[in-house]
Amino acid sequence: MNDLSPSTLLVLVPLLPLVAAVLTVVLGRTLGGRSFLPALAGIGGAFVVALMLLAGTAREAGLGSGDHDHAPRPVEMVTTLWQWAGVGDAQAAGDAGSSALSFSIPVALRLDPLTATLLVIITGVGLLVAIYSIGYMHGDPGEPRFFALVAAFVFSMSMLVAASNFLLVYVFWEAVGACSYLLIGFWFSKPEAAKAAKKAFLVNRVGDFGLAVATFLLWLTYGTLNFHDTSLADGTLVPGILGASRLADASAYVGGAVGTAICLLLLLAACGKSAQLPLHVWLPDAMEGPTPASSLIHAATMVTAGVYLVARTAPLFVACPGALTLVSIVGASTALVAALIGTVQNDLKRVLAYSTISQLGYMFVSLGTGSLLGFTAAIFHLVTHAFFKALLFMGAGSVMHAMGGVIDMRRFGGLRRIMPITASTFLIGALALAGVAPFAGFYSKDEILSSLHARGWADTHAEHHESAPGGDRAAGLNPFRFATISSEAPVATALDAINTPATFRLLFWMSLITAGLTAFYTFRAVFMTFTGPTRVPDEAGHHAHESPPSMTVPLVILAALSAVSGWWLFSTHSLASFLASTPSFTAPSVAATATPLAFHWDIAIQGTLAAAIGIVIAALGHLGRRSDGPQMERFLGPFETLFARRFFIDEIYSGFIVKPLELIATVAAFLDRHLIDGLVDGIARIPLGCGAVIRRAQSGLLQRYALAGVIGTLLIVLALVARAMGQ
Amino acid sequence: MNGFSPHAHLLLTIAAPLVGAVVAWLLGSRGLSAVRQSAAVSTVVTLALAAWLIVRYLAEPSTAAGLPFALQEVPWLTEGIFDVRFSLGLDGLSLWMFGLAALLSLTAVLVSWDAVQDRPVGFYVLLLVLETAMLGVFAARDVILFYVFFEFTLVPLFFLIGIWGHEERRKAAVKFFIYTLAGSVLTFLGLLTIVLWHAAHANVVTFDIEALADGMMIHPLPMTADGGWLQMIVFLALLAGFAVKVPIVPLHTWLPLAHVEAPTGGSVDLAGVLLKLGIYGFLRFSMPMLPEATAMAAPWLFALGVAGIIYGALVALVQTDLKRLIAYSSVSHMGYIVMGLFALTPVATEGANLQLVNHGLSSAGLFALVGMIYERFHTRNIASLGGIAAKAPWLAVFFMLFTFSSIGLPGLNGFVGEFMILLGSFQRAWDGVSIAWQSAYLVMALLAVAGVVLGAWYMLWATERVMFGGSREPPRAGHGHADSHAASGHGHDHGHPTPGDRCDLRWHEVAALLPLAVFVFWIGLAPGTFLAPAAPAVRKATSSSATAFAARMHDTAPTVARIDSR
Repeated sequence: MNDLSPSTLLVLVPLLPLVAAVLTVVLGRTLGGRSFLPALAGIGGAFVVALMLLAGTAREAGLGSGDHDHAPRPVEMVTTLWQWAGVGDAQAAGDAGSSALSFSIPVALRLDPLTATLLVIITGVGLLVAIYSIGYMHGDPGEPRFFALVAAFVFSMSMLVAASNFLLVYVFWEAVGACSYLLIGFWFSKPEAAKAAKKAFLVNRVGDFGLAVATFLLWLTYGTLNFHDTSLADGTLVPGILGASRLADASAYVGGAVGTAICLLLLLAACGKSAQLPLHVWLPDAMEGPTPASSLIHAATMVTAGVYLVARTAPLFVACPGALTLVSIVGASTALVAALIGTVQNDLKRVLAYSTISQLGYMFVSLGTGSLLGFTAAIFHLVTHAFFKALLFMGAGSVMHAMGGVIDMRRFGGLRRIMPITASTFLIGALALAGVAPFAGFYSKDEILSSLHARGWADTHAEHHESAPGGDRAAGLNPFRFATISSEAPVATALDAINTPATFRLLFWMSLITAGLTAFYTFRAVFMTFTGPTRVPDEAGHHAHESPPSMTVPLVILAALSAVSGWWLFSTHSLASFLASTPSFTAPSVAATATPLAFHWDIAIQGTLAAAIGIVIAALGHLGRRSDGPQMERFLGPFETLFARRFFIDEIYSGFIVKPLELIATVAAFLDRHLIDGLVDGIARIPLGCGAVIRRAQSGLLQRYALAGVIGTLLIVLALVARAMGQ
Repeated sequence: MNGFSPHAHLLLTIAAPLVGAVVAWLLGSRGLSAVRQSAAVSTVVTLALAAWLIVRYLAEPSTAAGLPFALQEVPWLTEGIFDVRFSLGLDGLSLWMFGLAALLSLTAVLVSWDAVQDRPVGFYVLLLVLETAMLGVFAARDVILFYVFFEFTLVPLFFLIGIWGHEERRKAAVKFFIYTLAGSVLTFLGLLTIVLWHAAHANVVTFDIEALADGMMIHPLPMTADGGWLQMIVFLALLAGFAVKVPIVPLHTWLPLAHVEAPTGGSVDLAGVLLKLGIYGFLRFSMPMLPEATAMAAPWLFALGVAGIIYGALVALVQTDLKRLIAYSSVSHMGYIVMGLFALTPVATEGANLQLVNHGLSSAGLFALVGMIYERFHTRNIASLGGIAAKAPWLAVFFMLFTFSSIGLPGLNGFVGEFMILLGSFQRAWDGVSIAWQSAYLVMALLAVAGVVLGAWYMLWATERVMFGGSREPPRAGHGHADSHAASGHGHDHGHPTPGDRCDLRWHEVAALLPLAVFVFWIGLAPGTFLAPAAPAVRKATSSSATAFAARMHDTAPTVARIDSR
């Protein structure tokens, strides 16, 4: 291994799946029923390499040395592959810009704790999904296409989290979207699948609009798009946006109107990819895709790209308290709304889809606290969520596989007797999602609630933590003291004004209610699917049995991870202290908010209580009963309609955006044909008389052209000569 | 290779299609396959010559400094004050367009392979003459040659549309002809005025474009009331021809008609190469020769570019004819290029120049595919098509690829130009205009970015309807392959055309699309290869206009918070 440098390894992580994707396309027919082989080998290899990178980065970060007292130092490695595009001196001629701009985009990959963590998750879940798909996709004529797309996705997603400049992030931001588009529309002959794919792409494009404009503004503000510091040919250092030299300077990030605009645009982008309000509408429809793809892309990895983006740009957000608070508000609202909708879904995959939206909302709430704890808790939850949500989706896929494609929970029940492994692993996933101790979700959710609590009740926390930086306690607790660049824009100021403890107290209670709702809808799904009298739909035929080992082994692995990963990562503090070495989190404005990791009994009890209430209500309604009863309608009354119709958000978009735009387009097309064309025709008729004369000359005969040219030139010459003689 | 001088190489490349035309005409009596094979050979030879020439261009160090390559000058009248020569050569502005013209001519021949059965001799002869005209117009370095070739692109296309077009071909051909002719006559008058003005002041009559551009720097046309705003008038005269060609909204209405009625081969050349002549004209003539007028008009043309983006996209959204939809997408995409050009920042103009090639590749590919769909199903009506992906997977793969290229998916070519145009336009809006203009510029730039969403909307809508879903089209004539097992649920019939099913792409269709696809990826992954050779020429062509623009905006340039990167 000595001859493999970290940069080679880093390149291998995306490269292996890419090669696998290409091989699958090229060899598709030749491989026949074994078209999963390249993807399996490529993603598996990438996973091994990612683990090696994680170990190396952890060593680099000083993890395990027991030395927690020192402030974490940034750990970063950047490798540049080739120069993608460049425009030497991008300053417009004659423009007196305040500084030289250069548009120079290297294809540069980076390795730091955040990237290393996510690479392991992406390739690890990707590998399990690939194994699972061997069974799930068996016999589908599109099998090679599926595995090629999964491998292409793993490539794109690895590049997204490893990219070291905003343009490259944008590139792979859209690339994962394209993979998602193609996988949602995998069964493209189904009109719903084709429609869902288009919807996902378009809603994401709205988010991409935000990322594009944010990228433009970042370039204009910071003069580069690189994360890392670069050197020009003459040796001058160009500080990257998230480079060491800028991170060291507390005032290096713009706040105010420009900074807020950038952050809001980044938030818009994150909302698109991570299905947050108001751009969440595509994710439930995306369930039209094959379940393994939903598991990988629409649960564990791609949808967390928004969380990654905000975490990566933490120093930018921390400089704009208003925008940061909005991240939390968006997250908490999404978490609550999606959980409410999730309570009345009868399609098992859609329950999980709304649950994903809701859990991503949790991560956003956490990010918006702007504290180191908040950022690391969001990533912690990202990791545990990847395990248990991938598990739940694969469990749902296993059910769907056995039920002959039926996924409506009202049509089956009591499946624990038929599929014991699926049932027990699903239960573990459900416990983790509901936040029941000691399963994974409990710990990560607890950290999120703690980070919110710390912002909402800052004073009590200050007393709890005597070790807050001595003498300057206020500064230690206020992450926003560096946001001193005053703002002249009233909107930004107004936004900043919402950054108060009261806001976070409200968000805390919202999140707690969401925790209860999460437990409710999760166990409602468990009870409806696996308990009660055993019922199987006709479509199941002879399929109604436990899934093959290729599907159950990944379930068991993920169940084990969902059971122990939370406790392990929390009790050793390994993830949090490891992530603290991510350059973005070592910015003084973030690092100053570091608090000792501790277990908060009060918060844990509140969270557990909320989960218990949810589970109990679900049990009262659904445990042991037939799953096609009208419990929800009776229980919720008119709200049932509101939730079931998803708060009418799709209808609002259709009525206020899509339909009006189509109307404008129709009018424009009509005017184009009848007004503009008619007008031009009319104007054309005026000089047509003159034109007719000239047209006669346009005979298309070369001789005439030549003659006309000669005569014309002669006339000009004559005119000039006459003029010259006249002078 | 040493014995083969570059200028002879260039001349041979331009003449090769003409020779091919003669050969095709001589082979006329041997029937369709002899004619089309000879046309294919001619275009392949031309493409090989052009590719080799480009390689030689890139290997020549002096071109990196912006010097023209393969310069060929034939003195015509060089006595006294007269310095009239015919000259040909390549530089950074023309290099890629020259190559694109050679590439798309091959595509045009290959997509006509089966589609043109009627009077093939005339068709292929005209196609080859058109190729010479397209190659010539980009290689021309003097006004006379440029204009002759410029007009000569018009004539073959007029006949291609008028004879081999669809139902309303005559109306379309006449409209196309009158529009572009009316415009180009004004352009010619404008160019003559420049020549005369230069002659009057420099005491030398020359048609050499570079000499004229240099002369206009020393003796600019007047931009004052005293001088009768002559520079502006000339600018508008040039604009008349160029704006029609591009086309800039609202002078675009000939385009959908011409495209819908044109045979596929004509559409490929029209969309891929001829639309670019307008932009090329701005870069070659208006910007270097009339900088003050360009600077004055820039905000308005920038606005018209944005209007074209949004308007073209909206109108495309409600089209029922697939070819018409792609024609309007061209209006929208050319709007980006106009916008980028008149943003007058280096990133935007270099992006716009690259986008000429990008749009050439994606629109040519899409028009070729629409032609292939029409050949199979005899309709272009979106509502009566559907589920093609199940029947012709490779056709669908290429359609998706060019769709993705068209909507600017990163990793493919369209993204690079679009991103640079938008980035450069934002740069202009951010700190390159006066306070009075700034909010307008920002709104326009934002609208243009929003156009990216609209662009994805109509293209993916069309893809969804035409490629995906259940089969909708009537069974193909003379081929009883009704899709009885139209897929539902887990699709079962895609990817496995039954033996003898000729629904999916045939060899000549793959040969037509594959080279375009290669460049779609190549430019997307390594745009630097294509940006760098063009950069000095684009910079030179636009710098005086950019300076003039900055001078106009200078007094009240806003200062926006920017953290110094040093």
